[in-house]
Amino acid sequence: MPKIVYRVGDGTVTVDAATGTSVMAAALLNSVDGIVAECGGNAMCATCHVHVEDGPLDRLPAIGPAEDEMLDCTVSPRVSNSRLSCQLPVTDEIDGLTVRVADEQC
Amino acid sequence: MTTTPPTIVDGPRSDLDVYADPALLDPWPGYRELRDAGPLVFLERYGMWAATRYDAVSHVLRTPEVFPSGEGVMMNDEMNKVLRGNTLCSDGAAHDASRRVIVKPLTPKALRPLHEQIRAEARALVDRLATRGSFDAATELAQHLPVTIVSDLVGLPEEGRERMLVWASEMFNCFGPMNDRMRDSFPVLGEMMEYATTQAVPGRLKPGSWAEAVHDAAARGEVDPGKCPVMMIDYMGPSLDTTIFAIGSAVWLFAQHPDQWDLVREDPSLVPSAINEVLRMEAPIQDFSRSVAVDHEIDGVRLRQGERVIAFYGAGNRDERHYPDPDRFDVRRNPTDHLGFGAGPHACVGMNLARLEMRAVFEALAETVSRFEVTHSERALHNILRGFTRLDVTVHRTRGR
Repeated sequence: MPKIVYRVGDGTVTVDAATGTSVMAAALLNSVDGIVAECGGNAMCATCHVHVEDGPLDRLPAIGPAEDEMLDCTVSPRVSNSRLSCQLPVTDEIDGLTVRVADEQC
Repeated sequence: MTTTPPTIVDGPRSDLDVYADPALLDPWPGYRELRDAGPLVFLERYGMWAATRYDAVSHVLRTPEVFPSGEGVMMNDEMNKVLRGNTLCSDGAAHDASRRVIVKPLTPKALRPLHEQIRAEARALVDRLATRGSFDAATELAQHLPVTIVSDLVGLPEEGRERMLVWASEMFNCFGPMNDRMRDSFPVLGEMMEYATTQAVPGRLKPGSWAEAVHDAAARGEVDPGKCPVMMIDYMGPSLDTTIFAIGSAVWLFAQHPDQWDLVREDPSLVPSAINEVLRMEAPIQDFSRSVAVDHEIDGVRLRQGERVIAFYGAGNRDERHYPDPDRFDVRRNPTDHLGFGAGPHACVGMNLARLEMRAVFEALAETVSRFEVTHSERALHNILRGFTRLDVTVHRTRGR
């Protein structure tokens, strides 16, 4: 299974993520702190905000219109590498992706 | 693309009438029967497939390339023609363009300035009703915020606003299969479309309102101006009844489960979780449908292009394959992945507003009311919507409040 690394505050959690889920769902399933995901993965609430920092960043899907709209609503300000983790599907290609969980979600 | 029954059915079948009165009033045994019969079950009475397991419903909603909305999401051809081109019934780039306009006032950021007003209004309402002690929660409690605040934000001309509740309810009846309920409601839909086309027009809309913003976006070329009337329906249809029914169902559930209400009162930070649990247990919209664009297989059941699948959100939400002990109301469960708002690209565009309204009402109630007792209730007998038309309650005030 692909590994996803989450940086939360000063800590780091590495998770074996099932393909077909999302970076958001893998975090929730493995009790990674800081991801709220109030809307359940529909790009509607901006509470699964992460910064994509390391790994196969060029393999991530482009930001779609719904995600783009919602990234303007994050509580921690949007930066150039901000993404909604619910919009990042787990695939073998993103093995080793490292994300920082945004400090504030709601 | 129609709802004409396919000639070959390659999967389990059922003659269950999911839209008969008893099934609408108590859908849970029928949903269980369908879930147990297969991942998709062909409904012989309607010539459409039913998706009732959580995974199947979620898959249908999240796979728009196989299950598009552009051929309509209703269970009859007439209605699928009427709403063609609105946000609900579109795909791809056209959907992105109109959803972008519709979602603008409904994002978390856009709603932030409304939080205080909505909370204050909810507190005043709850104080008023709790002082009286007995009231109809389905109307006096549940309708207040949607009817006063939301309909003002939508900004339709005053004359006609009082018809909004009737229109919305009748419109959703028309989402169902071609049955008596649908046929009885269809003329009212005509009245609603006429209003959307001739009255909800620039110059007559409240300045700065959401409805006006749709016409402004059309004037800027962001959406096709010809779609403005059906885009009015995107706001007129779902902004009232759904939230109203959810608030009523929540009161009913808390009345049936006083231990769960105590948990919320003791720890009001549970309100958002409790709201998700209410929407899981009693989804205000029970089902929409999708057409099948290409031959497809789900867990061994083969679908053919041109068929139609009904996605039963309410059934997926009670699937024990996904939620342990699914019929138990547990305010600590926090099922954020419930299907009460749908899922995928067409997930409810108003969910942030609906949550905001519900949260305001139940936070105020958690401070003020220690018990709900239902003295009389009447359920809506409706093709699509689930909730109460009347819910008389007596409330006990929290000591010292």
